[in-house]
Amino acid sequence: MDLLFYALTIQIFSIIAIAILQDNRKASIAAHLLLITGLILGFAVSFSTLVFSNLSSQSFSAFGIPNELFRFDALGLFFLCIVQLVAIPTTIYSYSYLKHYLDEGKSIRSNLVFYAILLISTQMVVIANHAVLFLVCWEMMSTSAYLGMVFEKEKREVQKGAFYYLVISHVVVFLLYIFFFLLHHQTNSWLFSDFHISPESGNLFIALYILSLIAFGMKAGFMPFHFWLPRAHPIAPTVFSAFLSGIIIKSGIYGILRTFQFLNPTPEWLGWLVLVVSMISAIFGVWYALAQHDIKKLLAYHSVENIGIIGIGIGIGFIGSAYQSIPIQMLGFGGALLHTLNHAIFKSLLFIGSGVIYKNLGTRNIELMGGIVHRGKYFVMLFLIGSIAISGIPPFNGFISEFIIYNGFFTTAKELKNYYPLLMLISAVGLAFVGGLAVACFTKINSIMFLGSERKEVKHFHVSIYEYLSLGIFALLCVVIGFYPQPFIGIVNKVLNHGFVPGNSASELLKINWFFISLIFMTVLSGVLLFYFWKSIVQKKYGSRVSAAWGCGYGGLTPRMQYTASSYADELNEISQTVLVYHKKMKVPEGVFPIEGAFESHSDDLVDSKILLPIFRNISSLICRINFLSYTDIRYYIAFILIIISIYSLIAFLWN
Amino acid sequence: MELISLLKGIISLLVILILSPLFVGLVNKLKAIFTGRIGAPLLQPYYDLKRLFRKETINSTNSSFISVVSPVINLVTVVVAAAMLPIGFARPIISFEGDIILFAYMLGLARFFQILAAMDIGSSFEGMGAAREATFAVFAEPIFFFTIGSIAFINGLTSIYDIYHSIRLDNVSYLVFIIVCSISVFFLAITECSRMPVDDPNTHLELTMIHEVMILDNSGIDLFLYQYSSYLKLFIYAILETSFFYPFGVRSYTVGVVIFVVVITILSIALSISETITSRFKMKNIPQYLLFATAIGILNLLIYTFTK
Repeated sequence: MDLLFYALTIQIFSIIAIAILQDNRKASIAAHLLLITGLILGFAVSFSTLVFSNLSSQSFSAFGIPNELFRFDALGLFFLCIVQLVAIPTTIYSYSYLKHYLDEGKSIRSNLVFYAILLISTQMVVIANHAVLFLVCWEMMSTSAYLGMVFEKEKREVQKGAFYYLVISHVVVFLLYIFFFLLHHQTNSWLFSDFHISPESGNLFIALYILSLIAFGMKAGFMPFHFWLPRAHPIAPTVFSAFLSGIIIKSGIYGILRTFQFLNPTPEWLGWLVLVVSMISAIFGVWYALAQHDIKKLLAYHSVENIGIIGIGIGIGFIGSAYQSIPIQMLGFGGALLHTLNHAIFKSLLFIGSGVIYKNLGTRNIELMGGIVHRGKYFVMLFLIGSIAISGIPPFNGFISEFIIYNGFFTTAKELKNYYPLLMLISAVGLAFVGGLAVACFTKINSIMFLGSERKEVKHFHVSIYEYLSLGIFALLCVVIGFYPQPFIGIVNKVLNHGFVPGNSASELLKINWFFISLIFMTVLSGVLLFYFWKSIVQKKYGSRVSAAWGCGYGGLTPRMQYTASSYADELNEISQTVLVYHKKMKVPEGVFPIEGAFESHSDDLVDSKILLPIFRNISSLICRINFLSYTDIRYYIAFILIIISIYSLIAFLWN
Repeated sequence: MELISLLKGIISLLVILILSPLFVGLVNKLKAIFTGRIGAPLLQPYYDLKRLFRKETINSTNSSFISVVSPVINLVTVVVAAAMLPIGFARPIISFEGDIILFAYMLGLARFFQILAAMDIGSSFEGMGAAREATFAVFAEPIFFFTIGSIAFINGLTSIYDIYHSIRLDNVSYLVFIIVCSISVFFLAITECSRMPVDDPNTHLELTMIHEVMILDNSGIDLFLYQYSSYLKLFIYAILETSFFYPFGVRSYTVGVVIFVVVITILSIALSISETITSRFKMKNIPQYLLFATAIGILNLLIYTFTK
């Protein structure tokens, strides 16, 4: 474990390198190299510990000194592996991304420093064992993400979007303070390893759970706390939005799973609460995504969907915990954990892909894209792999984790009987519905962005070797987990056996016939290759050529006459008009010689525009009422603080 | 014993692969008879396929690698889905716990590439078809789960083969449940296989169709592969439908095959009658039609659960 700290130290050196080196380019190269070295070393250590050690020993010492600040239990290591695994290709991309800004002569130092701090603090968050250390790292993570986000701070939308993120992260931290103080009050310890409260403590148990679910749920982006995601993601630099969506929102999931370790077994209604909220997040997340035209905003809504899918797994696990059923817990939590890994991989891939597109085209509006496939064939292939994976379609990794969750539904129905088959069936239908919408959404963006002909002229489309490398690593992971899931299932199983569902060797996760599934995938792949060659032979024999698409005999088709993203999603949006707040403005061309017509469609977020924003507005107007206390002189404020402190101390004094 | 069951599985798959165009031919022939025409020969789909096979392949100037691989992926995934279905009571080649999910998602993969390939042409006609396919698929997916899936959940079984075997006629409520399920699946089959009243397989009018418009610009071997996989898909849904008609308690292979043949024939008659007497819906009404089928499924399931 000493090595892990060396790895972290190497990463910290990158900040020093930025400080020392005067030349921007050299600083960038040195910092990235140090970060990647540190991350690879760290990943090697944490991964080998997770896979090879027996994980039974909870104690830990660094450099021979026993230490309670950090702990390397299965859950922490699993998340540490995810963070480091995803951070490696993201850092590779970061180099190429910042190079682009360097060429423009912009200073990238601050951005790079915040990125390094973000990486280090996120790694520390998942291995922290002391509540205070956890909160410090958490705060560092949130703040550095915010500071990195405002890279282009001169833009108005950047300030606005980042502000939402800043507010939400402080609300989260505030709630977490209460959460950990209450835990400390109950257990008289600050250490995660000592936190354990049984349901007998009644209301406190429930209060702690609700507190944790709200706090971590806000960070994860469950509905109705999802509103910061579609605001913060589009404006952040691509590196940060990839990391935000891939890793930081997962820290919320990490928190919820940790809470489960502190507070179990859960009551059944809590499982249902999580399941229903997650289902709503999944369905509406993807539905809102369908209505978006901004590629990054669309992907942000997809994060809400996928967090929902992870939450469904957690909900199943909670229900299993309520009934003390090991198979249900294994499948529920197992699906959630694997989907956390999978989502981190394919969402980073998609975000980095969108960053590459933005760099080349200078727009995030998918209505202005098209025909990219003729410019960068391999880039499109990589993006397509991510799209198929996120839609949960075989043979890639998204399917594997969704398959586990489906199995969770089946097992819950089988184990708990009664009305459970019906309820689980409805949940399965919900997940299938989400899958269908995701297919609609990702066929939309892939076809509009990449296929057909160019709607707006593309001057040049260049994907650098670093970008290919980072996208390639992610795509490879998608493929590997899809085609050969056994080792990953094994790791998830091990994590669950240590700390979640103890004392269980014959796992439900391993009982699924993974071998057969990968065999089928291989068959599909080889079948496709075989028929592809057969087809090309047949084509050679009977000829093939290229010709213009049929246009009712009209030869002057222009790229603008292609199908658009709005029309593609129109039918689905029409159906859910009220929820999407979807409205259209149309000016129909009239007369025998029509001159002009116009069409505009717009969609909003119901939760956002009709519920949350009015609440915020009311709060702010309420706060404005106490405006009479505002003075220009800072000494008044110091006096206020003193008065408040003395009131507090008086109360505390009298209390005792 | 193992070898024989494997052999039966292979025979089942071959039957599906070989007979699926015949089923389409049968439906078309019956439809022609009901409308008072002589109609094309029974084997017309085979002739069509043969003709397409020998034609030149033409791709759009806009098309990319998607158009090249999509027909192949379509065929392979549909064949893999077909390999999960039992004929008679033979265990299919692909059969494991949870294959019902893989079945649904394999067809999803086929759809994903079909839609992409349609958009790859870069023409508005294909775009319309693709958008409709994506929209209706969203509403079609729940029907599958509320019918076949509900049997899986009620009986605690996750393999299509086991689900077939679990269907038994022990009480009236179960019988009613199965019959209504089969009606729901019929609706689903009509949507998924682009038959009347959702889609008209015979027209090429861009404003009125879904599946046909997506393959409008394809020709030669590409069209051959698309057509063949659409025949297969129709046959797959027909076999799903037969699954509801095995509740006779007899578990012998011959009886299973006989029932299979009878049900397929009845189904082709039903399909041709429904195609004769109904006209196409307005596009706007199709989601309602699908939600209606879903509602039947839900109600049916609720009634069954509460009367059990």
